[in-house]
Amino acid sequence: MPRFKMVDGVSVQLTADEETARDNEEAAWAAGEDARALAGMRRDRDRLIAETDFYALSDVTMSSDMTTYRQALRDFPSGKTTKAHVDDATWPTKP
Amino acid sequence: MSGKLTLISSATASSSASVSFTSGIDSTYDEYVFYFVNLHPGTHAENFTFQANADGGSGFNETITSTSFEAYHTESDSSAAIGYMSSYDQANGTAYQVLHYSVSAGSGMDDNGLVGELRLFNPSSTTYVKHFYCTANTMVGSTQVEAFTSGYINTTSAIDEIDFKMSSGNIDAGSIYLFGVS
Repeated sequence: MPRFKMVDGVSVQLTADEETARDNEEAAWAAGEDARALAGMRRDRDRLIAETDFYALSDVTMSSDMTTYRQALRDFPSGKTTKAHVDDATWPTKP
Repeated sequence: MSGKLTLISSATASSSASVSFTSGIDSTYDEYVFYFVNLHPGTHAENFTFQANADGGSGFNETITSTSFEAYHTESDSSAAIGYMSSYDQANGTAYQVLHYSVSAGSGMDDNGLVGELRLFNPSSTTYVKHFYCTANTMVGSTQVEAFTSGYINTTSAIDEIDFKMSSGNIDAGSIYLFGVS
């Protein structure tokens, strides 16, 4: 199916060279799916850890449940190498 | 500057692989602004990106150095924060600059669009690099995410063409408006 681009408000069919270039871009994007999923997982993991960082302040006592939760978050990426691993994973429950 | 906006042109995507502005970016204005109104990707979780082409150059592949950070808040109110997005900055890279990541579509998220603005300064200068900044807002899964991107197109050649596209697939719908600021 031919692709079209919008140039100055006018729809123009891609040339053969542009189609090839876009095919290559999309193939590269697809090939990076696992890496993006893993990066997103780490980003989400980091967010969750950051949300509980204040429990680690010297004038706050961290419960053992919270210690376990934060360790589980740190360990969460271990063994996950594909998008399917990320999609199937269950995040630790915040105490 | 008085801050008056003058509409130069607009484009409405219709299953478009890219949306380009190849005229109207010149020395008339010191500042140009692109407004994005409900840009909708053809497939889920695509990044929205842009690149530039210098006057007389070939292809959208200028050198960009940029920074990116986000503010987010989940619909469930479970999480909200600000974070630097090291995956989307560039250090003299020539890739399409990500303006927002993982724009949601399909599977119950077709009510989502991307909105925002990209401001480009003094694009016709042959003395200065071309600074830009962008704020863009969209739904990422069930999270509201505002992405803040800024940087410069690291060339002293005049920039006269700008191209927008998703990292893969089409921009199915939505409009981009180009204004000059005087």
